[in-house]
Amino acid sequence: MNKSKLKLENAVIKYGENIVINGVSLNVSGGEIIFITGANGSGKSTLTRGMAGLLPLSAGKLTRTERMSYVPQIEEADRDFPACVREIVMTGTQRKRKLFYSRYDTERAENSMRELQIENLAGCELKTLSGGQLRRVFLARALCGEPELLLLDEPCAGLDAESHKILFGVLEKKLSEGCAVIMVTHDDSDLEGIKNSRVIKISEGKIL
Amino acid sequence: MSEILEILSYPFVIRALVAGSLISVCASVLGVILVLKHYSLIGHGLSEIGFASLSAASALNLSALAVSTPSVIAASFVIMFVSQKYKTAGDIAIAVASSAALAFGIIISSITGSVSNTGAYLFGSVLAVSQSDLIFSVALSFAVMLIFIIFYNRIFLITYNEDYARSLGINTAFYQFVISVLTALVVVSGMRITGTLLISGVIILPAVTAKNFASRFKTLIIISGVISFVAFTAGLIVSFIFNIPAGAGVILSNTAILIAAKILKFIKN
Repeated sequence: MNKSKLKLENAVIKYGENIVINGVSLNVSGGEIIFITGANGSGKSTLTRGMAGLLPLSAGKLTRTERMSYVPQIEEADRDFPACVREIVMTGTQRKRKLFYSRYDTERAENSMRELQIENLAGCELKTLSGGQLRRVFLARALCGEPELLLLDEPCAGLDAESHKILFGVLEKKLSEGCAVIMVTHDDSDLEGIKNSRVIKISEGKIL
Repeated sequence: MSEILEILSYPFVIRALVAGSLISVCASVLGVILVLKHYSLIGHGLSEIGFASLSAASALNLSALAVSTPSVIAASFVIMFVSQKYKTAGDIAIAVASSAALAFGIIISSITGSVSNTGAYLFGSVLAVSQSDLIFSVALSFAVMLIFIIFYNRIFLITYNEDYARSLGINTAFYQFVISVLTALVVVSGMRITGTLLISGVIILPAVTAKNFASRFKTLIIISGVISFVAFTAGLIVSFIFNIPAGAGVILSNTAILIAAKILKFIKN
């Protein structure tokens, strides 16, 4: 339950010569939620992308579970793709050396959509979704991979109250099952009332 | 009708029709990925690099395919890598590489006195389709089809969001390499029929047209392939009837289908 799911030691991430993350260390255990806050440009998303393995560390060490699911920020291009919700959620079950979907994968996708209350959107095209619905689709995709660690980059941005409640309901359930969560947020209200949580504030690439 | 039947009685026409339509269908299928990933200009860049390598091969008296195939594959990989890593720099890289390659090709042709070949390279020729080209096009189509069937889920994921695929631990560079090689092979084999100036249209236009009708990735691939086949066949037959270059006929028929699709969509909406 409390086994470490991610350990970051003195991580440095650079864009060219520019140091964006400077000596950040972090240890996250199962059942624990870490909120990463900070001003725009402080390095929150870069740190998250580094932990997701999308940016190389210039120095330091990252150790984490392989069962990690990443929920990126939404971009305009995410809607301009010929696919329905179910197809996108199913991609969350893909892993190394696994080319075809099984019946179990389909069941997991259906369960994830049910948990996020988007099962009625399963056949809808992406371009018809609102921002809040698309965020729930991305979270359902992440849950499909049965993660031990969830990395969420501003999942609450633009969410209505209903979607916000659904999202935190699902997160609390995952936490109780031993999943670790790291979540970038701008909104202080996200931090209230969540058990086993820590807040770290980033400024100029360092933890304050 | 009798005119069409007479045209189809020539073996070289049948060769051009079979090889060309197979290559154009492959091109259109790959074009779906390139259009969705906003790499539409890659085909244009590669074809002009192909022109430079054909000119160099002619000047050095070497086999055209032996020189152009590795050159275009290498260029394809570099352009895709730069496009992915530096986003906007990708367009700049294509513009620089294609204009420099075109200039290089023209200078080589001019110095070696092989300017007469330049027209054939730029505008293509159906007479250039040999028996070995036919075999190559069948093998290439088979390879593209097999790769799309086996790796469909991966291709779907990587085309939608490469970052997300990488976060799942998937080796996206491998798939990018495969797509680069296939695109380069399509360009090298197709540019001798349609010409280096027009092959990028064969890659991109069917996918752009199909986007007007398809709401799923799989449907987009199928519609794009069908449009490409119809446009190539119609373009080739029209080019024989009106004695115009085949490449131009194919591109014009693709453009006509695109305009018709836009009008249909406009009326429907």
